[in-house]
Amino acid sequence: MGENHTLRERISNWLFAIPAVAEWWSQRTAKTTGQLVDVSDPTPFAPVTKPLAQMRMALVTTGGFHRTDQTPFDMENPLGDPTYRVIPDATPRAELTITHKYYDHTDADTDHNVVFPLELLHELVDKQVIGATAPRHFAFMGHIDGELIATLNQETAPAVAEMLKQDQIDAVLLTPA
Amino acid sequence: MGLIARAIEAQGISTVAISITKELTLSVGVPRAVFLRWPLGHPLGEPHQRAQQQTVIYHALQTLLEASEPDTLVEPALRWRRETYVEPDWSKLVQ
Repeated sequence: MGENHTLRERISNWLFAIPAVAEWWSQRTAKTTGQLVDVSDPTPFAPVTKPLAQMRMALVTTGGFHRTDQTPFDMENPLGDPTYRVIPDATPRAELTITHKYYDHTDADTDHNVVFPLELLHELVDKQVIGATAPRHFAFMGHIDGELIATLNQETAPAVAEMLKQDQIDAVLLTPA
Repeated sequence: MGLIARAIEAQGISTVAISITKELTLSVGVPRAVFLRWPLGHPLGEPHQRAQQQTVIYHALQTLLEASEPDTLVEPALRWRRETYVEPDWSKLVQ
């Protein structure tokens, strides 16, 4: 799937699995990413308007999930891949895979719920905790940099938001890699 | 991920994000987030640890329901493997 790890990438993934290293990276990246969002621009907020048991919920992950019949995320561009993949709610487990070389997804491969908790949401519908799952969910790859952040911010993220609105989704759970 | 949350919320849809990179989440400004100081690639915990994964979802749903303003970041301070996880009492969320 175009995910050939070099030794350097393997060492990097191993290091970043250590919370303190991820924390250091997070602090460092926050300084540059903070400049991308206009701080005078307040964080949007849509209050919850109905009980959980009546909500239709969607998942959006940046963990690099996609269906096996979809084009994998681009592992060659060092700026990442700002596109998304639509994952229908009924996608069988065997038809889902991960392309994302910027984190060690061995555990997520073993149990998708570690990053993309679709089975967990289905269980919550069965338990009548939430009303329903969305007809489709969405996956990005994360690890987006440079000018591709603008593509995400101005094109692909709003496109996904629009589809969630069309699907009359009440709430979205976002999960990172 | 924070930019995606903002775009969705701007469409009038409530969001809650799980974060394992606190400063990044704070710098972007996310409507609602639950922070866990856990290894990257494991926002819900370990494979097949259902009670641990359910506990994370529980905190996320609770934050979704209870946050009254944007930039809410909840820190349940779950200590990765050093907790005894049991399935949450979902009825507390369904009142």
